[in-house]
Amino acid sequence: MNKPLRFLIVLLPIIIFSFFAKVLLVEEDEKFLKFNAKNLPSFELNDLDGVAVKSQSLDGIKLVNVWASWCITCLVEHPFLTKLSDENIQIVGLNYKDSSDKANAWLQKNGNPYIFSIYDPRGDLAFDLGVTGAPESFLLIDNQVIAHIQGEMTQRKWETIFYPLINKARNTK
Amino acid sequence: MIGEISHFLSLSAVVIFCLILIFNFFFIFDKTHSNQLSLSLRMFNQACWLVFISFGMYVYLSINDDFSIAYIASHSNSQLPIFYKISSIWSAHEGSMFLWIVFLTVWSILFINSLHRNHPLKRITLLMLSLIILGFLLFLLLTSNPFERILPFGAIEGADINPVLQDPALAIHPPMLYLGYVGFVISFSFITAYLFHGNFELEWEKDIKNWSLVAWIFLTIGITLGSWWAYYELGWGGYWFWDPVENVALMPWLAATAFMHSLYASSKSNVLKTWTMFLGILIFALSLFGAFIVRSGIIDSVHSFANDPQRGLYLLIFSGLITLLALGIFAYRVPSLNVSRFVISGSKESYLSMNNILMITSIFSIFLGVTYPLIIEAVNGEKVSIGPPYYNTIFAPLILIASIFIMASLDSIWQRSKPFKSIVSSIIVPMILSLIFTYVVWHVTAVFSILSYIGIFSGSLILFSYLYRILSNFFYKKFINIGSAVAHIGFGLLFIAISFNSILSYEKNLNLAPGETILIDESIEEFSFDDIKVLKASNHDVISVEVSLLQDGNNIFLNPQKRKYATRGQITTESSIHASILKDTYLTIGDQLENGSWTFALKINYFIKWIWFSASLMVMGMLITIFKKKAI
Repeated sequence: MNKPLRFLIVLLPIIIFSFFAKVLLVEEDEKFLKFNAKNLPSFELNDLDGVAVKSQSLDGIKLVNVWASWCITCLVEHPFLTKLSDENIQIVGLNYKDSSDKANAWLQKNGNPYIFSIYDPRGDLAFDLGVTGAPESFLLIDNQVIAHIQGEMTQRKWETIFYPLINKARNTK
Repeated sequence: MIGEISHFLSLSAVVIFCLILIFNFFFIFDKTHSNQLSLSLRMFNQACWLVFISFGMYVYLSINDDFSIAYIASHSNSQLPIFYKISSIWSAHEGSMFLWIVFLTVWSILFINSLHRNHPLKRITLLMLSLIILGFLLFLLLTSNPFERILPFGAIEGADINPVLQDPALAIHPPMLYLGYVGFVISFSFITAYLFHGNFELEWEKDIKNWSLVAWIFLTIGITLGSWWAYYELGWGGYWFWDPVENVALMPWLAATAFMHSLYASSKSNVLKTWTMFLGILIFALSLFGAFIVRSGIIDSVHSFANDPQRGLYLLIFSGLITLLALGIFAYRVPSLNVSRFVISGSKESYLSMNNILMITSIFSIFLGVTYPLIIEAVNGEKVSIGPPYYNTIFAPLILIASIFIMASLDSIWQRSKPFKSIVSSIIVPMILSLIFTYVVWHVTAVFSILSYIGIFSGSLILFSYLYRILSNFFYKKFINIGSAVAHIGFGLLFIAISFNSILSYEKNLNLAPGETILIDESIEEFSFDDIKVLKASNHDVISVEVSLLQDGNNIFLNPQKRKYATRGQITTESSIHASILKDTYLTIGDQLENGSWTFALKINYFIKWIWFSASLMVMGMLITIFKKKAI
């Protein structure tokens, strides 16, 4: 075996492991903490039961969670969302690029933590909001989008990003 | 009290493993076999036994519902049958890590004591094993302690095991998989010890051959059980999802498979020894990597445990150091290994080394698939997802090339080139048969999918060459390695089954009210929704549906259910499956619509059982190889 190859055998794992160390160490939350508040884009869609939803109906403090029946990670974060809804957090689902049959079956099977789910099969509202995939979560306070995370909602993200904002909003009222 | 004793025993094991390492550190370059070996060995055995007793006590605590222990309180329940009280131990992170360590010590203690008393590699292997066990024990006790108490008052009742885990397949799936994963610690430590020791006259292949075969068998059974469980319990309706956690199990499996082949070649001739050593190290390195991926929560997956960067960082540093230690010794020693560098083309080992390269390529492709989303995200913050199409398109051509090499290697011989002309006949026959078979399939099914046909062609190439070989063996009394033939037939069958499954299976979403009957297609002439009942069971409510089908002239009754579990409020879907040799009729119920009718998902899965049957053929082939001593 020649020298470069022997060198590579040791170097490659070092690169791989340092890459993972970097991914692991980057404070994911910091990325999400720098978020500029913006207005909720106006929309007119139906929810999964066929009832019309407008942007105005999302007032007060709402957590908007982007989900789909094809999304495996949504299943992973689902118990946590259920816990949040048990703690009286109002969660609005945004059913993203899905079919209503499958979405309803998914909710029936796994339980429904949402007060309702906006049905967005083409991803119109999702596009306006800046959704790149599922799951993602947004925090709305009085029609203002004030926080956005990508990926699974975890206890840590909830405590470091969302909970302080909600607390602040509740206290100012 | 027993909890504290159990905790204390694990801590004592940590101390003893530390002592072994410190004590031997001063003698590590001393190659004479003096008294320290027998002392270290005694200490090693005692430390392993401490771990076993500690785990035994933990099992006792779980059976006796000691809910003052936080882990047991959050994963078990007094209403559970004893079987699930035990299996609840490995239903989450802390306990499953404990089980992982127990298996690590089981393999280590068995292997170390099986070596000859004065085996020159015994001491360094023992040190390597101690180091690895110590690393995991510290991980368990420092970052994920299963012994933690809820103080001052314990819970009165446990929170219950996750219902989807209350299943016999799942109780066995993790132990089997872990036995496979950690079983390769033996080849890893032994090869590292051999390279470190530096006496390259030693024979090392036969000492680890059977250990690795057994570990391979456990790994294969573990993966197959996982696939089976996902199919019939999770209600996913498929057998493989290219989920990151499935991928990190498949990578060591591929490395292990390449390793078995390489080991076979290097015990027959002097070539491929470097390959064998590299692969032997790689398998366990990939197992460690898998443990990191699953337990750090760095990639979202249905399998991932709670996201905890501290655990991830510990595992990353630990597995990184262990891997680098082994690979560093390997890279340092490789030039002094006395191996022939030239593989004679057309010899058996030349085909085997080609397939080694293919298997490394597929490991690398999976590795890329798993890490690519992370890389992209680190580079420009975008989220991408890599799914089945990527893996299918990469694997199909690799399998086609591999199957051609497998076929060619069958009639070749060790260390000598066999002219192409002399193997032509044994290539032509399977080739023609496979072409005919593939054409017939295309003609009959009238479905076209290039990837599936590559799969069918490659699978039948392997299958027919072995069948042809068995036949000619029967007539001309040629030698055939039965174990290998059975395993490879299983391998060929696997691809045929997977491809058939992908072109023939279909899915129907139905919508029926109780009492209704509808026609589905020419195969299922009647689908009647006979009855629906709501029942109460010990810890859950059941919605039970009775459906009868007139399928291919036979009456079939299916009984899919939905269960709602009281303690966790979780809803599970119990699919109902009617299995025949060729296909499974798989039915799950969805939800009730406003007009009172119910939705159903009906899946007709062709050849799905053949996939698991092929896997068991591969296991059987390996078993034959182990028990037929002459075979290798």
